Amino acid sequence: MMGKIFGFLQQKSSILKWMFFIFLAGTICFDFFVPRDGHAHFFGDTIIGFWSFFGIIGCLVMIIVCKGIAHSFLMKDVDYYWEDEDEGIVR
Amino acid sequence: MTQVSCLMHPASVFFIAAFFMPWFKKINFMKPALVLVPVIAIFQINFLPQEFGDVNYLGLDLIFGRVDKLSYVFLNVFTLMSLIAGIYSSYVDEWEQHTAALLYAGSSLGVTLAGDYLTLFVFWELMAFSSVFLIWYRKKRRSHKAGLRYLIVHATGGLILLAGILIRYSEVGNFLFTPIAPETATFGDYLIMIGFMLNAAVPPIHAWLADAYPEASVIGAVYMCAYTTKTAVYVLARGFAGFEALVILGAIMALYGVFYAVIENDARRILAYHIVSQVGYMVCAVGIGTTMAINGACAHAYAHILYKALLFMGVGSVLEMTGKSKLSELGGLYSRMPISLILTVIGGIAISGFPLTSGFISKSMIVTAAGEDHRIFIMLMLLLASVGTFLSVGIKLPYFIWFHKEKPSVPDAKEAHLPMIGGMCIAAFFCIMMGFYPDYLYNMLPYEVTYHPYTMYHLSETLQIIGFTGLGFYLMRKKLVPEDKLNLDIDWIYRKASNPFKNFCGGPLSKLNDIAGEVYKTIGTRSAMLFAKAMSWFDWNGIDYVIDGSAKETLNLGNRVRMLTTGKIQHYIGAAVIVLFAVLIIIVLV
Repeated sequence: MMGKIFGFLQQKSSILKWMFFIFLAGTICFDFFVPRDGHAHFFGDTIIGFWSFFGIIGCLVMIIVCKGIAHSFLMKDVDYYWEDEDEGIVR
Repeated sequence: MTQVSCLMHPASVFFIAAFFMPWFKKINFMKPALVLVPVIAIFQINFLPQEFGDVNYLGLDLIFGRVDKLSYVFLNVFTLMSLIAGIYSSYVDEWEQHTAALLYAGSSLGVTLAGDYLTLFVFWELMAFSSVFLIWYRKKRRSHKAGLRYLIVHATGGLILLAGILIRYSEVGNFLFTPIAPETATFGDYLIMIGFMLNAAVPPIHAWLADAYPEASVIGAVYMCAYTTKTAVYVLARGFAGFEALVILGAIMALYGVFYAVIENDARRILAYHIVSQVGYMVCAVGIGTTMAINGACAHAYAHILYKALLFMGVGSVLEMTGKSKLSELGGLYSRMPISLILTVIGGIAISGFPLTSGFISKSMIVTAAGEDHRIFIMLMLLLASVGTFLSVGIKLPYFIWFHKEKPSVPDAKEAHLPMIGGMCIAAFFCIMMGFYPDYLYNMLPYEVTYHPYTMYHLSETLQIIGFTGLGFYLMRKKLVPEDKLNLDIDWIYRKASNPFKNFCGGPLSKLNDIAGEVYKTIGTRSAMLFAKAMSWFDWNGIDYVIDGSAKETLNLGNRVRMLTTGKIQHYIGAAVIVLFAVLIIIVLV
C-alpha cells in the first residue's frame, strides 16, 4: 500500500517540485518577519535571507570541491587494496 | 568488591548474560535475554549510589562506580541503545554475535562508570577486544582483514593511553579520573588525550572507523556506531573540557566527515564517515567547555546515538534483505521496502536537524554555544557541516537506495524482518519524541538548561539552510550519482604506503634471514657440534677425573662392600663375633 503511495508521488513529481519551490519562497518570506534581537552573533545574522544564501552556496561549493578532489586524486578502482585472497568467506 | 556491589554494577548483568548465551540458546531463551538484560540495566542505573565498588587491589584504589549527572546521561542512552539494538538483532540466531555485543555494551557501561584510569583502561580494552568479533562475524575475508587492522589500531591507541596513565601516575601519585585543567596539562595528560581521541576518531587518527564499520556484520555496525565513539566523547568531556585543540580538531572533523560522506558510494561507509562528522560537533563542544557546550555535547551524543543507530539499522536491513550496500547497485526499492524507507528517512531528517526532531534540539545547542563564545568561524564551519549532513545522509542516502531508478534494483527484495522493524520503530519514536518534548533530554543534562530551541529565528535559519541545501541537491543530482569507486583516506598509509616496508621485510630481510639461517646451519651447527664434543670430552676426562674420581672410587667401594654382604644371618653373626674379639684383643693389649 505504502509502495503505491510512493509510486503515485513519484509519478506526480512535478507537483512535488512546485510545492518545494513554494516552500523555499515561503522560508525567505518568513525571514522578513523574524525578530533578530538577541540572536545576532555576527553580521550574517542581521541580513534577511542570509542562511538561504549560505545553504545553496555551501551545498554547491561542497559538491564541486569534494567531487573535484575525489576525481583528481582520491578516487581509485574498488580493487585498489585488493589481494587475491580477499574474495570469499571465512569458515 | 563485595558480592553486592559487584552485582550492583550494571555491566555485570551484561557480562553474566554474555557468558550464558550459548546455554540460553539451547533453552530457547536467547531472544528474551536480549531484551531482558537491557531492561534490567535501564532500571538499575536509576538506583545506583553516587559511588560504589571501591576496591583496594595491590595497594591501588580502584573505583568501579561513580555516578553523577554527566555519567548518568551516557548510562541512560547506552542502556536504551542496548535495548533497541537487542530487539533489532534478535533475528540473528548465532549466539556468538550476541555474546560479543553484550560484552561490548557492558564494557562501555564499565568505562562510563569508572572512577579511576586503571578500571577505565581495562574496560576500554575490553570494548576493543569484544567489538572486533562484531566485525569478524560478517565472515568475509575483507572483514577479517579490516578487523585485524581495527584491532592493531586500537591496541596502539590503548598503549598510548596506558603510557599516558602511567606517566600521570608518576606525576600525581594516583589513578583518579578527574578533570584536567588545560593550563596544568603535562605530556602524560596529552598522551591520555590522544588515546581518547583515537576512539573518538579525530583526524588524522580516524581512518579505522570508516575502514572497519562498513565491514562489520549488520547488527555489529548497529552496536558499534553507538558505543566506541560516544564513550570517547564521554571521557573527553569528563577529563579534557576546555582544551582549545579539541575545538579546532572538532570543527575540522565535522567538515572532514561530511566531505567523504558526499563522495562515498557504500551506504554504510557514508554513515561511518558521518559519525566522524557528528562526533566532531561533540568534540568541538567539549573543547569550548562552557556549561552550555558540555550540555550540548551530551545532548548531541544522546540524540546522535539514536538517529545514527536508526540509520545503520535501516541501511542494515537493506543489506540483510538484498545483500547489497553500495548505492550504485541499489535504487528503486520504495515499492519493496517502504517501511524501512520511512524509518530511515526519520533518521535522516533527525540527523539533519529538522524542526520537531531530536537533531534540531541538540545540534543547535552546540552551534549556539560556539556563537555565544564568539567563535564565529567555528560556528560557520559547524553550520556548513550541517549543510553537508542534509545533503549526504538526509537526501543522497535515501534517494539513491529507494528512488533514483524506476524499477527496483533487486526485484525480489522483501521488507525487513519484524524484530528489525521493531528496533527501528523505537529509535524513530525517540527521535521524534525528543523533538516534540525536548525537556525529556534537557532534564537529564549535567548543567541546568536555559536554552530554548524553538525560537522564530532558529526555525527560520534551519528551514532556510535545509530548504536551500535541498535545492542544491536538486540542481546537482546528476553530478551526485554515486560512482563505484574507492576513496583514499589516511589508512592508505598503513595499507599501501607501508608496502615497501612490508616488501622489504617479506623480500630482502626475509632472504637475509634465510641466508643467516643457512650459514648457521652449515658453519654454526657444525662448529657448535665440534665444540660440544670437545667440551663433552673435557667433561668426562677432565672434570670427572678430578671430581667424579671420588665418585668412581665410592662406586667401586660400594661394589666391593656389596660382595661382602651375602644376606645370610650366620655370616653376619660370625663377622660380628670376629670384630668383637678383635676389639677386645686391642683393648686388652693396649
